[in-house]
Amino acid sequence: MSIEKGRISSQQLLFLIAGFVQGSVLLIDFTVGITEHQTWMVILAGLAVTAPVIFSYVALAKMFPGMNLVQINDMVYGRFLGKVLSIYYIFFFLMTLSFNIRDVGELYITFLMPDTPFIFLLIVFTATCAYAVTKGIEVLARVSHLFVVTGLLTIISTSTLLFDQMDFSNFLPFFELPFIRIFQGIHIVSIIPFGETVAFLMIMECLNKTERVVKNTFFGLLIGAVTLLIVAVRNTAVLGRTQTIWTAPSFQTIRLIDIGTVLTRMDFLIGIAQTILIFLKCSIFFYALVVALSQLFGLKSYLPLVLPIAGIEVIIAATVFQSPVDHAMITQNAGIIYSAPLIFVFPPLSLLIAKIRGLPKCERGKET
Amino acid sequence: MEKKMNFSIMKFFLCFFLLLTLSGCISAREINDLEIVIGMGVDKDENPGKILLTAQLVKEDTAGGASGDGSGGGDSKAYWNVSSSGKSIFDAVRQITHKTGNRLFISHNQAVIFGNDIAAEGLQEYIDYFLRAHEMRPTALILVAEEKASDILNIKPEAEEFPAFNIAKLVNSYVFTSHFYKVNMKDFASCLMGATTAQLAPLVSIIQDEDGKDIYVSGMAVFKNGKMVGKLHHDEVRGLLWVLGKVKSGVIIVSSPDEQGKAVLEIVKAKSKVTPEIEDGNIVMHIKIKEESSLSEQTTTENLADNKAFEKIQEASAEVIRQEIMAAFDISKEFNADIFGFSEMLHKKYSKEWKTIKDNWDVIYPTIELDIDIETKIIKTDLLKKPVMPSEEEN
Repeated sequence: MSIEKGRISSQQLLFLIAGFVQGSVLLIDFTVGITEHQTWMVILAGLAVTAPVIFSYVALAKMFPGMNLVQINDMVYGRFLGKVLSIYYIFFFLMTLSFNIRDVGELYITFLMPDTPFIFLLIVFTATCAYAVTKGIEVLARVSHLFVVTGLLTIISTSTLLFDQMDFSNFLPFFELPFIRIFQGIHIVSIIPFGETVAFLMIMECLNKTERVVKNTFFGLLIGAVTLLIVAVRNTAVLGRTQTIWTAPSFQTIRLIDIGTVLTRMDFLIGIAQTILIFLKCSIFFYALVVALSQLFGLKSYLPLVLPIAGIEVIIAATVFQSPVDHAMITQNAGIIYSAPLIFVFPPLSLLIAKIRGLPKCERGKET
Repeated sequence: MEKKMNFSIMKFFLCFFLLLTLSGCISAREINDLEIVIGMGVDKDENPGKILLTAQLVKEDTAGGASGDGSGGGDSKAYWNVSSSGKSIFDAVRQITHKTGNRLFISHNQAVIFGNDIAAEGLQEYIDYFLRAHEMRPTALILVAEEKASDILNIKPEAEEFPAFNIAKLVNSYVFTSHFYKVNMKDFASCLMGATTAQLAPLVSIIQDEDGKDIYVSGMAVFKNGKMVGKLHHDEVRGLLWVLGKVKSGVIIVSSPDEQGKAVLEIVKAKSKVTPEIEDGNIVMHIKIKEESSLSEQTTTENLADNKAFEKIQEASAEVIRQEIMAAFDISKEFNADIFGFSEMLHKKYSKEWKTIKDNWDVIYPTIELDIDIETKIIKTDLLKKPVMPSEEEN
C-alpha cells in the first residue's frame, strides 16, 4: 500500500532538493553570529560532512524501493522499535516545520508588515502550504523548477548589483576563530540546510525510476550549497564586521544596493525569493509529516490529516518561542542536538542492519 | 449538477469575502498621512541628559507647487523643521508626534547630522536607533556639525528646495576634491565595531558672507570609540584618502620649474597598496601609491608640456602627496586614533601577533613607521599643448 499515488522523476528530485536547501538561505544567519567571516568555509565543511550521510539516505531508498521511512523503520527495527523511531522522526518534522513557519512570520513582521498580527501571517502561510500538500507531490515537484531558478536569479542578480561594495579583505584572516566555534558552526550547517533532507526519505518512494538518483541528489545538494555559499560570501564581503549584529544580514545587504540612486530599495526581491523558497521547504516538510503520520496510523490517504496538522503547526509556531532571540538560542544550542541522531545515526544504522539482515527479503511487514 | 452549481456559487462568494478581508489595509499609511523625513539632526538639549532631535519634513502641499510661481510663495519653505527633546532618540521621535500628529516616516532619510556637543560626548549610544529602526536605511549619510545640527538644517539653500537634499548633494560631491568622503550608517557602525580603528564622519558648517549663509562640507571629524577627538583639515583628509586608495579626483598645485608661476594638476586616477610588515618588533607600513594626473592649468609663460618639465612637476607633486600623507599621519598620532585602519591590516596579515598588538595598540600606534613610495605621472595636457604667449620666433 502506498499513500502517495503521484510519481516524480529523479530530475524533479534534483530541483526539489536544491529548492529545499535554498529555502534555508535565511537560516544561515544562525551560523553567522557564531562563525562570522568564516561562514563560507563552514558551509563547505558542512556539505562535505553531510554528503556521505545523504548518500546513505539514497542507498536506503534504493534498497527499499517504493517504501517510505516509516515502512523502512518497521522492517529494519521491528514493529515496536520501528514505531518509536518513526514517532521520533514525526516529532522532528513537526517541530522543524513549525520553526520554519515561524521564520517566515518573523521575517514578515520584522521587515515587511510590522503591524500585521503575527498569527495572521502564520495562518496565511500555513494555509498555502497545506493547499500545496493536498495537491500532492507531483505539483510541488513541477513548481520546484521555477522556484529554484527564481531563487538563483535573485541571489545572483543582487550579488552582481552589490559587486562594487564588496571588500574581499573582509575574509581575512582565514583562520582566526577558536575551533570550538567553527565546530558548532559546522554542526548547525550540517543539520539545518543539509541534514534536514532526511525528509526526502518520505518522498523518494515516489520516484518512478531509481537510476541516476545518486547523481541527481548530488547536483541538487550542490545547487543548494552554491546558493548558500554565494549568499554567505556576499554578506561577508559587503557587511564585513557588522554582519553579526543584524537580525537578518541578507536583508541588510540588499538594502545597501544603490545604483545611481535609482536602483534602490530592492528588499522586495529578497522578500519574494525568500517566501517562495521557504514555502517549498515547508511544503516538503509538511508533506513528509502528513505522509509519515498517516502511514503510522495506517490511513489510506493523508488528506484528512492536512487541515488538523496545519492548525497544530500554526499553534506551535505561534507559541513555541517568545521572541526571535529565544528562537535563535534554542536552534543554535538545543535544536541541533536532538535532531542529530535522526540525521547522522539512524539512517546509516538502518542501512547497516538491513545489509546484515539481508532485507528486504519478503513482503512481510509491509501491511503496516 | 445542482450540487456543482451550489459549490461554484459558494466559491464565488468566498472570492468576494477574501477580496474584502485580504485587501491588506491593516497598516495602511496614505501619502498625505506620512510625515516624510528627509534629514535629521541630533543636538544636546538645554536640560541635562536630554537630546534635541530635529527632523526635516516635506510639506506635501507646497513641495510640488510652490517652486513653479515665484509670486505667490516666494518666501514659503517647502520643508518644515520640527524638533523635540527626549531622553533617547526614539523617545524624541515619538515625542515629535505631539507636534506633527503622525508618526515620522524615516525611510527616505538622506542624512543624520550630529551636533558638535553630542559628537564630543560620544555617538555610541545614539547610533543604535538609526541602525535598528526598520524604516531606516543603512545607506543614510552621517555628518557632524561644527556647531548645532539644527542650525544646519535651517539654512535654505539657493539652488535646491530642501536643505537635507542639498547636504546629500554636497556630500556626494567629495569625488571632485577628495577633501572628505562619504560615510554612511553601515560604514560608521563597521568602524565602531573594530576595537582599534578610529571612525570618521564629514564635517558640515555654516559659512556667513554678505549675501547670506551657506552650507559648507569639508574636512572630517575623528572619533575614537565613538567620541570625537579632533578634526582633520581637508588636506589631511586627502592624505588619508591617498593611503586608503579612495582619492577620486582633486587638484594638486606645485610651483613650475622656473619658479615663476604654478602648475595646477588634476588627479585623474590614484591607486594605493599598503603592506604591513613587522621587522624585529617594529611595525612598518609600506605604502605604494600610483597617481595619474593631467595638466589642467599653468600660470607661467614657460612651456610646461615637455618631458623635462614634466619630470620636475611629477617629482614636486609626489612631494606634495607625501607631505599630505605625513600631515595626516602626524595629526592622527596626535589624537592617537587609527584613522588609516592600519590595525585592521595588521590583524589580517599577522593574526598570531594580533593579540598582543591589540592590547597595546595605543602605545604601538605612534611608533609605526611609514615607508612611502609614490609614482606620479602626467598623462595629458588637455586642450593646449603650449601656453598662451607671444611667439618666440622673433627673438
